[in-house]
Amino acid sequence: MEDHPEGVSLARRRAEAGRVISGIVFGGSEMPERNTPQKTLESWKQIAAYLDRSERTVRRWEANEGLPVHRREHEKQDTVFAYRHEIEAWNRLRTRCPGPTSVSHAESLFTPQSAGNAYLIEHDAITRTMHCYIAGARAGEADLMRPAFHPSATISGYCQGVEYTGSVEHVFQWINENGPAPTINPCFARIEIIESIAVVHLEVQNWSGKLAGANAHASDVFTLLKCNGEWKITHKLFHWHNR
Amino acid sequence: MTNNEYLTEYDQIVQAMQKYIDGSKQGKSEIMRPAFHPEASFFGYAGEQLAIGTQFLFDWIDKNGPAPNIEPRIVSVDILDSIAAVRLEVAGWSGNLAGSGVRMSDLFTLLKTANGWKIIQKAFHWHAAGQRLAA
Repeated sequence: MEDHPEGVSLARRRAEAGRVISGIVFGGSEMPERNTPQKTLESWKQIAAYLDRSERTVRRWEANEGLPVHRREHEKQDTVFAYRHEIEAWNRLRTRCPGPTSVSHAESLFTPQSAGNAYLIEHDAITRTMHCYIAGARAGEADLMRPAFHPSATISGYCQGVEYTGSVEHVFQWINENGPAPTINPCFARIEIIESIAVVHLEVQNWSGKLAGANAHASDVFTLLKCNGEWKITHKLFHWHNR
Repeated sequence: MTNNEYLTEYDQIVQAMQKYIDGSKQGKSEIMRPAFHPEASFFGYAGEQLAIGTQFLFDWIDKNGPAPNIEPRIVSVDILDSIAAVRLEVAGWSGNLAGSGVRMSDLFTLLKTANGWKIIQKAFHWHAAGQRLAA
């Protein structure tokens, strides 16, 4: 749908970063991974093994701490997978400074080696903020996503044909009332960063829950601001697609 | 969305943006106000100062006065049914508050309402290190 050269070059840079990481971490190990730079882990078992933790722990990390796990839709049950480079990026930020308010610390600990690396650090920090939102949406717990938002954040969009514009508190209420939406499948369609501001286009398939119903599809456009070194969502614009 | 529908939406979005651009150039917030949703928000940093709220923007535009040399470029327009995101680059900002030759990057989000496309948020980055956007 979109022709976005920056996205392409970013994917390439990420791929290169992934190669470097795998060279350092897995060089000489028994893990059979060489040719394709963007390696995937294809199950909870593999993700758990990769992080050297139990499956239960990595599932909790996904729900509570934004561990980037993706889903493929199947007829009976969705399967999960994860990109190693995304897990690495998540782990990097997390290990250096644990906790949900650590984005700025994590960033300040990095010394950007080049413009490309500096861009990746911002990109990763933004996706980390977004994963905080996603984790809250999936668990149906607004408190998980609160740290992702600026206190003055607002939302706009249509709910069942009625325009809604107001405080982000209404999102939090909705999320709590909607409850768990374990099947949501979020996908970053676009991330654009201009120094202190950014826009993220998130496509979410398979929304479920008490209010969302089943298999709903939402397009969200988030605007973010870098406040005191941390990326915070200042606005969420949403569109629910007709079924 | 058919091609013609897309063009109609695109043109209406660009018209809303043009009101913002015209108001900026003439230093008159009244020109751009109709393009904004009544509950629109405004966010950004000018140096260390966090500017929030469209009233800040409108006051700033009026106090800044004419900026006849601005060079606006609409870099991207993304439309997703009832919502849209626009990136605007403006070079050559000048005026009482802006100083001269300053560049501003803006991310606008818009909502399609019964009264047409309205700007629901403007986020900006002021490319002038350490310079305050006094208002």
